[in-house]
Amino acid sequence: MKNRKKSLVSVLTLSAALLISGCNGTDTKTNSDTGGAKGEKGELEDKIVVYSPHGKDILSKFEKQFEDKYGIDVEWLDMGSQEILDRVRSEKSNPQADVWWGAPSTNFNQAKDDGLLAAYKPSYSDNLDEGFRDPEWYWTGTSQTPEVIMYNSKELSKDEVPKDWDELLDPKWKDEIIIRYPLASGTMRTIFSAMIYRTYKDTNDPKEGYDWLKKLDQNTKEYSANPEMMYNKVAKGEGSLSVWAMPDVVMLKENKNYPFEFVIPKSGTPVLTEGIAIVEGAKHPKAAEAFYEFVNTPEAAKTLAEEFYRIPTRSDVKGLPEWITETEIKAMDIDWNAFEEKGDEWMKYWDENIKSGDKEIKE
Amino acid sequence: MIKNRDTRLTVWLLLPVALVLVAYVLYPSLRTFIESLQKDGMISLGNYQDFFVQESKTNLEALWNSVYISLLSVLVSALIGIPLAFIFNRYDFPGRSFFSSAAILPIVLPSLVGVMAFMFLYGESGLVPNAIKDLFGLDKVPFKIGGVSGILIVHAYTMYVYFYMTVSAAINKIDPSLEEAAYNLGANKFKVFWKVTFPLLTPAIVAASLLVFMISMASFSAPFFLAGGYRVLSLQIYFSKINGDMEIAATQSVILSIVSISFLLFMRWYQNRKDYRMASKGIGAHRSEVKNPFMKWVMVVTGIIGVIILLLPHFTILLLSLVPDGTWTFQTYPTVFNVENYRLLFEDPNIFKPLRNSLLMAVIATLANLVFGVIASYVLVKRKFVGKSLVDILVMIPWALPATVIGMNLIFAFNEPSVFSFGQILVGTFWILPLAYFIRHIPLVVRSTNAVLEQLDDSIEEAARNLGAKWFYTFRRVIFPIIMPGVLSGTLLAFIESVGNSRPRSCCTRFQTGPYPLKS
Repeated sequence: MKNRKKSLVSVLTLSAALLISGCNGTDTKTNSDTGGAKGEKGELEDKIVVYSPHGKDILSKFEKQFEDKYGIDVEWLDMGSQEILDRVRSEKSNPQADVWWGAPSTNFNQAKDDGLLAAYKPSYSDNLDEGFRDPEWYWTGTSQTPEVIMYNSKELSKDEVPKDWDELLDPKWKDEIIIRYPLASGTMRTIFSAMIYRTYKDTNDPKEGYDWLKKLDQNTKEYSANPEMMYNKVAKGEGSLSVWAMPDVVMLKENKNYPFEFVIPKSGTPVLTEGIAIVEGAKHPKAAEAFYEFVNTPEAAKTLAEEFYRIPTRSDVKGLPEWITETEIKAMDIDWNAFEEKGDEWMKYWDENIKSGDKEIKE
Repeated sequence: MIKNRDTRLTVWLLLPVALVLVAYVLYPSLRTFIESLQKDGMISLGNYQDFFVQESKTNLEALWNSVYISLLSVLVSALIGIPLAFIFNRYDFPGRSFFSSAAILPIVLPSLVGVMAFMFLYGESGLVPNAIKDLFGLDKVPFKIGGVSGILIVHAYTMYVYFYMTVSAAINKIDPSLEEAAYNLGANKFKVFWKVTFPLLTPAIVAASLLVFMISMASFSAPFFLAGGYRVLSLQIYFSKINGDMEIAATQSVILSIVSISFLLFMRWYQNRKDYRMASKGIGAHRSEVKNPFMKWVMVVTGIIGVIILLLPHFTILLLSLVPDGTWTFQTYPTVFNVENYRLLFEDPNIFKPLRNSLLMAVIATLANLVFGVIASYVLVKRKFVGKSLVDILVMIPWALPATVIGMNLIFAFNEPSVFSFGQILVGTFWILPLAYFIRHIPLVVRSTNAVLEQLDDSIEEAARNLGAKWFYTFRRVIFPIIMPGVLSGTLLAFIESVGNSRPRSCCTRFQTGPYPLKS
C-alpha cells in the first residue's frame, strides 16, 4: 500500500512537471524501470504486467498469492483474448505486457508468427504432452477448455435440451439462442471455426459450414456484446440456450448462483488448449518467468481446477475433483493450423455474409 | 515599434498553437490516411475500391446506416431539445428553474453506462416492462427497446441536451424588441416565429446539429450493446481492427472522417449564407407567466414526470451498484441490497485503481485543454494572421472525427518514435490516453471561450495597455476574469467527458480504466 501511494505521488509530481514544461509526451518507462534491477544476476524486477481473459476472480487470487510470495507488484488487465492479440500487436514496438495468460492456442500461434512472443521452456516441460505446447516453446498449454451447449436449467429440462451441435438447428429453438458476439471472442471463434472445419477437412470448402452457421443464425435471437450480457439474458430467460466454454458455465453455476447447466455434444466438441506465453521484449522478463512458473505449479493447477473449474494440461496433477475425472469428453479431431490460417477469413465471411442484417431490426 | 511588438506577440502565441495542432491533429490523421493507401505492400487506392465494390456491400450498408441513424438522431434530439428550450425560457411556472436544470442531467451519464442503464430499465428483462407485465398480469412484456429504435431512444436521451443548451442560450440573447416590432407590423404569432425568431436561432441549431451528428456517427456503445452489433461504420472499424485488418480499418476511418467533415463544411456554408448578427445586444429575455391555473398545473405535473423519466437511468445505476455480485441472476427483480460493492471498491486496489487512473488522466487532459484552449481562442479571435481559417478547421477536426478514429490515428502515429512524441513510443503508455482526451476536447474549450471572447470589446484591452500594463498583465488581470465563465463551462464539459468517456481508451493503453472491459 505504501508503495502504491509513493508511486501515485511520483506520477502526480511527474505530471505536474510535465504540464509546466508544456510537454505532453514523456516517458513512463523511467517510472516503471527505476526500481527494476534489470538483468542483474537474475534478480527479479519489482513489477509485472499480465494480460489475461481469465476474469477478476482468478486474477486477483493469483495476484495476491504471487505478491505474498515474491513481493512483486502484479498489474493485470482483463480483456477478451482476441483483444489481447490486437493490443499486443499495436504495442509491438513498445510492449507493455510481460505475460499473456490465457487464450486459445490459435491466438498464440498467430502472435508467434507476428513475432510477438518470446520462447521460454518451463521447468515442468517433461509433464506436458506434445499437443499442449508449441514445438519451439513460444507458448505452453495451461488448461483444456471443452466447448459445450449451455442452457438455462429453469427454462429447460435435461431431456429436452439439444444433445448435439446439429440439434441446435431445429426450428423449435428459433429465438431461444443467445450468442456472444463472436468476433472479439476466442471461445466463439473456436466454436464457429470448428463448425466450418467439420466439413472443411474433407471437402476443403467452407461452404457447408457457412450453411450450417446460416441456419444457426436463423435460430439466434441476439448477439450479445460481451459475455456478462449473454449470461444475463440466458439467466433471465430472454433465451434459453447458448454455446460457451465449459469451465465458465460450471463456475457461474457453482460460484455465482446462475441457473446454468451444460451438455457435451455427442459427436465431439473442440477442446481448446488455453496457453500462457511471455511477450517478446517484455520489460520485466525475470519476474515474468517467475509468474509463468507460479501459475503452473501442480498446486496452482489444482486450485484452478477446484475453485475455477479449469482442466489442467499437466499430466502430474493429483487429486483432481470428480467432475473432471468423471466427465467424458469426446474431443473433436482438429488441425489447429487450419484454424489459425483460415480463422480470420471465415470470421470475416461470417460477419459480412452470414450475420443477418435484419436480426437486430426486428422488434 | 508597437506594431512590431504586436506582430511578434502574435507569432509567439500562434507558434505553440499551430505546433500542437499539427503534431497531434494533422499528423496523426495523415498517418491514418497513408495507412489506408497501403495494399499488399503497395501504395494504391485499392482499399477504397474494395470498400465500394465489395461483393457483400456490408461497408456500404454500414456507411448508409451510420448516416441515416445520425440524421434521425439530429432530428429527434432537435424535436425534444428545441421545444424544451422554448418552454423553459419563455414561460414561467412553479418549479421552472428546477426543471430547467434537471433537463441537463443526461449529459453527466457516460455513454456506455447510459446504455447499460437503458438495458436494465427497458430491455426485454428490464425493470419497467416486467413491472408492467406483473402489475397487469400480462403474458409477455408489453414493450422492450432494441434495434434501431433503441439506438435512437438512447441517442435522443443523451443528445437532446446539446440542442437544449445551445438554443436556450440563443433565445436569451434575442432582442425582444425585434419580435415586438414584428407584432406591431401586424404579423401573427406563427409568422413571427418562422420569420423572426427561428432565423435568429439558426446558428445555435446549426451548432447543435453538428455536435449531435458527429457524436452519433461515432456512437459505439448503443449499436453494439443495445442492437446486437447493428452494422454501423464505427463498429466496422472496431471489428476490422480486431480481426487484424489494419489497412481496412484505416480506410473505414478515413471514409467516416470524410462524411463528418463534409457535414461540418456543409453546416458552415449553410450558416454563412446569411448574417445572423443582431445590431443591438440582447436585453435579457422576458418570460411570460402561465396564468391559466389548469395549464399551470398541467405543466408542473408534466415537468415532474419528465424529471422522473430523466433521472431513472441515474437511479438504475445507483440501484445496480447496491446489488452484490451473484444475487441478481435469474430473478426478475433484485432482492438483496447492501453496500458490499462500495466496500470492495475502497478495499481492493484493483477495483480502485481504474477509478484513480481515469480521474488522474482526466485532470491532466483537462488542464492541458484549459491552457491550450484559452491561448488558441485568444489568437483566433483577437489576433490577425494569415491562414486563420485553416487553424480554425484544424481546431474543429477532432469533433468531426469519431473517438474510434482518433484512437486509430494515435496508434498509427505514435507506435513508433516520432519528433512529436519526443522520440518516445506513446502507444501503450500512460500518456496516450490523456493525449487522446486532450485532442478530443480541444474544440469544446476553444468554442466556448470563443463565444465569450467575441463579445469582449477590444477597447477594454487597449485601455489597459494604454495605462501601461504589459500584455501578460492585461491578459491575467483584465481579459481572463471576464472570459472566465465561458472558459469554465467548456473546461467542465471537457472534464466530464474525459471522466465518462470510455471509447478512446479501449484502443491504446493497458492502464485499465473502463467499468466493463470486454472479455471473451
